[in-house]
Amino acid sequence: MLCEKCKIREANIKYTEVINGVRNEHNLCAQCAKEMDLGYYSAIFDGEFPLGKLLSSLLGVGETSQKEDKLQQIMCPACKTSYQDFVENSRFGCPDCYSIFDLLIGDKIKKLQGNGVHNGKKPRYQKILAAPSVTGSGQEEIQEPKLSREEKLQVLKARLQEAVLKEEYELAAQYRDQIRDLEQMEEQDA
Amino acid sequence: MNKWFEQTEGRQPNIVSSRVRLTRNLDQYRFPNSLNATESEGLVKRLEYSLKDLKELDGKDYEYVYLEELDELSRRALKERRIIKGSILEKKDTVGLIVSRDESVSIVLNGDDHIRMQFLSPFLQLDELWRRADQLDDHINARFSYAFDEKYGYLTAFPTNVGTGMRASVTLHLPTLSRGKKFQNLVGDMSRFGVTLRGVYGEGDENHGALYEVANQRTLGLSEREIIDLVTQSAEQLSEQERQVREAALKNHRLEREDEAYKSYGVMKYARRIASRDAMIFLSQIMSGVDDGLLAFKEPCPVYRLMLGIQTANLQKLSHRPLSKEELDVARAAYLRRELPELA
Repeated sequence: MLCEKCKIREANIKYTEVINGVRNEHNLCAQCAKEMDLGYYSAIFDGEFPLGKLLSSLLGVGETSQKEDKLQQIMCPACKTSYQDFVENSRFGCPDCYSIFDLLIGDKIKKLQGNGVHNGKKPRYQKILAAPSVTGSGQEEIQEPKLSREEKLQVLKARLQEAVLKEEYELAAQYRDQIRDLEQMEEQDA
Repeated sequence: MNKWFEQTEGRQPNIVSSRVRLTRNLDQYRFPNSLNATESEGLVKRLEYSLKDLKELDGKDYEYVYLEELDELSRRALKERRIIKGSILEKKDTVGLIVSRDESVSIVLNGDDHIRMQFLSPFLQLDELWRRADQLDDHINARFSYAFDEKYGYLTAFPTNVGTGMRASVTLHLPTLSRGKKFQNLVGDMSRFGVTLRGVYGEGDENHGALYEVANQRTLGLSEREIIDLVTQSAEQLSEQERQVREAALKNHRLEREDEAYKSYGVMKYARRIASRDAMIFLSQIMSGVDDGLLAFKEPCPVYRLMLGIQTANLQKLSHRPLSKEELDVARAAYLRRELPELA
């Protein structure tokens, strides 16, 4: 069926309005539907596809049992994103959100992503070098690939520079000590 | 300096371009959306400062800019050439952009995520793009530690990118396949294999120019290697199917096909005004004509370059001012008369 407005394109939107019990059906194409005022539904055709909204509905707005109501109020302490915010925007506020909302989102991420466990690359130079005393946050278990001494030195120096820029002097001091140790080992080997 | 889409060496029929995108976040900052203006600026400055030496990595010349410093036309042109996403243009806080002269490598800082690296190349080269992405990723990681979780992988603002943070895609030219009745079914079937197929230009069901992009659907649970292989295979499959139907069409309707290609060339070479939609359709005909050996240019010229060239913001940029619709159609025709090479 062709669009009743432009009569050029195939109609792929069926819009039924009921006003005072009178039922009207319109068959429109996406472009013409966009131009028409369809009230609340106009948002669907506005600008870029509102993927966020679609995702949100997929992620379960609407299925609010009482239990969920309570869960909605859980808030990430680091960035103040609430579970409700996440459901509305399909977007997290900070890396911590993933562990804060872990139990809530597991199934939903499975819906989006299928099998829910990371199976790809791991950061090559992660916390490897940060001393455990500073960042004992449980992420230390990451298996580090073996790095050559030069590589380690290079990374340490870059991180030291970063720490100084960020004015994290305690961390910087640790990097400095590690660099010194590595360099001393090198001298002994030589 | 040639842009990546101006290369003609190694041309493969029906395959236009490849793209690999990696999303990364630092572990010491909240995601861009929850940073305030000062934090955003600080983050972008730090990242730019630490990535000043990118040239040493791959020998390319890089430009470092803040999006807010660019004029509206340049920003929109960047969107047309797929360097940045439209939603990023709306952002009020500082967004940094590092882009190589040939535009094959671009890094958006503080967009939706802290770091979005994108690698573009002509034709099917996902392997090579992934190798380069992997290298740049390590380079950045040597300076910054990433937000990473054993279970969820690389953490991203949107759960649609979590895991590898990788999207690999290939742009294909499927003029004959997409005209078939079963094409919509094919589009649906693709998702069962974990890839999506979508039109690149045009709205709704229309796709002027018959360019389609195939990309991985999921980012979590698959390794980068598996994603690259999946998308590469899907692209090869689609290209092969297109080749088969084209071959059949060529065998049975050679004269019509030849006529279409030459007529399209004639219109493109001599028109005085032309709308974007029509230009895309004619360029698509010329693209098939060149791929099928029905017509040949005197000097090599990727038709895809012309398709990018006739987009609105690019034409306005060439004229150094915003143009009305009428003026655009005139500028587009002039651009095509000038850029379309003579026939061999």
